[in-house]
Amino acid sequence: MQTLLQLILTGLQIGSVYMLFSLGLTLIFGVMKIVNFAHGQFFTLSAMLVAVLVPWLLMQGLPLSAAFGLAVLGGIAASVVLGMLLYQFAFRFFQRDLAGSFILSVGLVLLFEGAFLHYFGGAVRSVPPIIDGTVSIFGTAVTLQRLILCLVAFGFTFALYWVLTRTRLGKAMRAVAIDHEAAMLQGIPYKRIAFHAFAMATFLGAVAGAIMAPISTVTPTVGADYLVKGFIAVIIGGLGSVPGAIVGSLFIAFIESFGGYYVDPSSANMAIFVLVMLILLLRPKGLMGNG
Amino acid sequence: MIRMGTKTSTAFFVACVMSLGTQAASADEVIKLGLSVPLSGAGANWGIGSQWLCEEAAREIKAGGGVKVGGKTYNYQCVAYDNKYNAAEGTKVAQTLLRRDNVKFIGGSLGTAPVRALQSLTEREGVLLFNVAWGASIKGPDYPLTFTQMNTPNEILFPLIKFVKSANPAMQTVALLNPNDATGQDTEKIARKAWESVGVKVLSSDWYERGTTEFQPIATKLAGVKPDAVDLGAAPPSDAGSVFRELKAAGWKGVQVVEVGTGAEGLVATGRGAVDKTYMGAAVTFDGPNVTARQKELNAGVQKATGESMNAVQIGFYDSVMALKAAMEKAQSIEPKAVAKVLPEITFPSVFGTAGFGGQKTYGSPQQILIPVIVTQMNGDKLVEVQRIESEELKQRLGR
Repeated sequence: MQTLLQLILTGLQIGSVYMLFSLGLTLIFGVMKIVNFAHGQFFTLSAMLVAVLVPWLLMQGLPLSAAFGLAVLGGIAASVVLGMLLYQFAFRFFQRDLAGSFILSVGLVLLFEGAFLHYFGGAVRSVPPIIDGTVSIFGTAVTLQRLILCLVAFGFTFALYWVLTRTRLGKAMRAVAIDHEAAMLQGIPYKRIAFHAFAMATFLGAVAGAIMAPISTVTPTVGADYLVKGFIAVIIGGLGSVPGAIVGSLFIAFIESFGGYYVDPSSANMAIFVLVMLILLLRPKGLMGNG
Repeated sequence: MIRMGTKTSTAFFVACVMSLGTQAASADEVIKLGLSVPLSGAGANWGIGSQWLCEEAAREIKAGGGVKVGGKTYNYQCVAYDNKYNAAEGTKVAQTLLRRDNVKFIGGSLGTAPVRALQSLTEREGVLLFNVAWGASIKGPDYPLTFTQMNTPNEILFPLIKFVKSANPAMQTVALLNPNDATGQDTEKIARKAWESVGVKVLSSDWYERGTTEFQPIATKLAGVKPDAVDLGAAPPSDAGSVFRELKAAGWKGVQVVEVGTGAEGLVATGRGAVDKTYMGAAVTFDGPNVTARQKELNAGVQKATGESMNAVQIGFYDSVMALKAAMEKAQSIEPKAVAKVLPEITFPSVFGTAGFGGQKTYGSPQQILIPVIVTQMNGDKLVEVQRIESEELKQRLGR
């Protein structure tokens, strides 16, 4: 029983980062109908800046919590600014152009991976633990750090859900996602909505990177690993579907957790890819997708 | 008259240029040494440090007058590309080095999978290949141009594991974890035999993909089998530190071994306090009384380049350049096959002192560098040498 609980908690922890990452991907696709492979670079930039700034701020004499807080703010801000620049000077010219946005985003991935490698170096970085200690949940040990970061991830997910269901902006985004022409006929400013959607997606990717940094290792290519898992989650859940992204993320996280324990991590990884192939064959629109 | 003057001056100009060219031809010539190393990801520090050491060896040789072959003087130039520690990128690097850059000597290559990709071209095209790959399968009479310039599982694991068992006699079981690639697979086979040879039972043997950043599931599994020891085989230090950190969070306590553990910094960076008392088989310490000034200099240089101490993986890239110089001067040739023929006969100044190539009994062909095996252990966040085992074959050759 304890093992089962441990695996479920592990799955939730891993899934929380995948969730935030894939929500950004699905939001961009839903509103702009483009696939953004460069989403992983916002994640990477945020994580790298946290990994670089925390030790530097600690050397300046700041306490750890303040250093982490400032580093997170810095990382997220830098990623969002990067995202806005990319939208303004690149992506807004390729809205609803799947092929064009694909080529553009792949090019951006190569550009930014090279830039990160050049400026940050290739070595692995890690962030010191922000909070020490473990808590016991039904007899299962969970580190406080992971628990808090998991709660933060779920918090942002619920916040996004609230924005999409309770605010004018969110409703406008959903309207655009359903039928952008009909939405425009209703007076919804499509370009402004697309801009906000891109900003929110970038923000979510940056938050995912920032909360991942203290519990994992950070490299300039870390975004590529999460990008693959994020896309798989979105495909399983359904492109453009927010609940689908959540379900898909938790699904693959549980496969990683249970598969890694009962078989081995390599086989668990393979199982994820087999699953996405089956989904594409049997239900191409995903578990909760609409089109 | 003007035309005559123009012709004369043009002829003079051409003669000057040609004489400059002649002077250039008689000046030092450059031999490119290709390097296939990870410059990104978990193995990046190994690659960056290796590149620096190759360049440092090349500088040292140039400062010492270069390599004298056939009345000419040659110097080395290290050309490195990122193989990302996988076969796909290793293949691209191989094509670039051999086809585009036309290198005839691979000064060093890291990672069994990318080395195999490189070897499939180098043996066919008569290119000499130095490597620090851990796979035993890349050496042998079928690969006469391949030489390994660091200790590998056959050299390290048996003495390392024997020492660990003798220091922890109560240890009865072990769980293995290795990266799921050629390096990990080759290492795991020998590790099993080594543990079983000292009476320790292998409870489980698992694999993870290189590039993994989330180690909690695998750590949960390792802790679940309740081994007395966990052996992380060919995992790089940063991965190993993450695994030990997750194991500690899962409540596991026991003997920790990283066979290819190369240094404290990478381990401590990700593992923090969880890596205390970890044993490593490929790390080197540079603060004892027997450390030479040159070793300290080289270590300082690598530390500046990578933020970590020099380790056995990187040292191989310095040693290979020294071996190449000695072999070229003995063979009086810069042809790879002629150089490969004399490599087993020479001795050369390595970071560890005088070294040579041997291993005929183990591999069927003398392609393995003969250097000491050094067992180290973490004491807090400091690395301590606990045992040094000299190569018997080298001792015999040097008459010690």
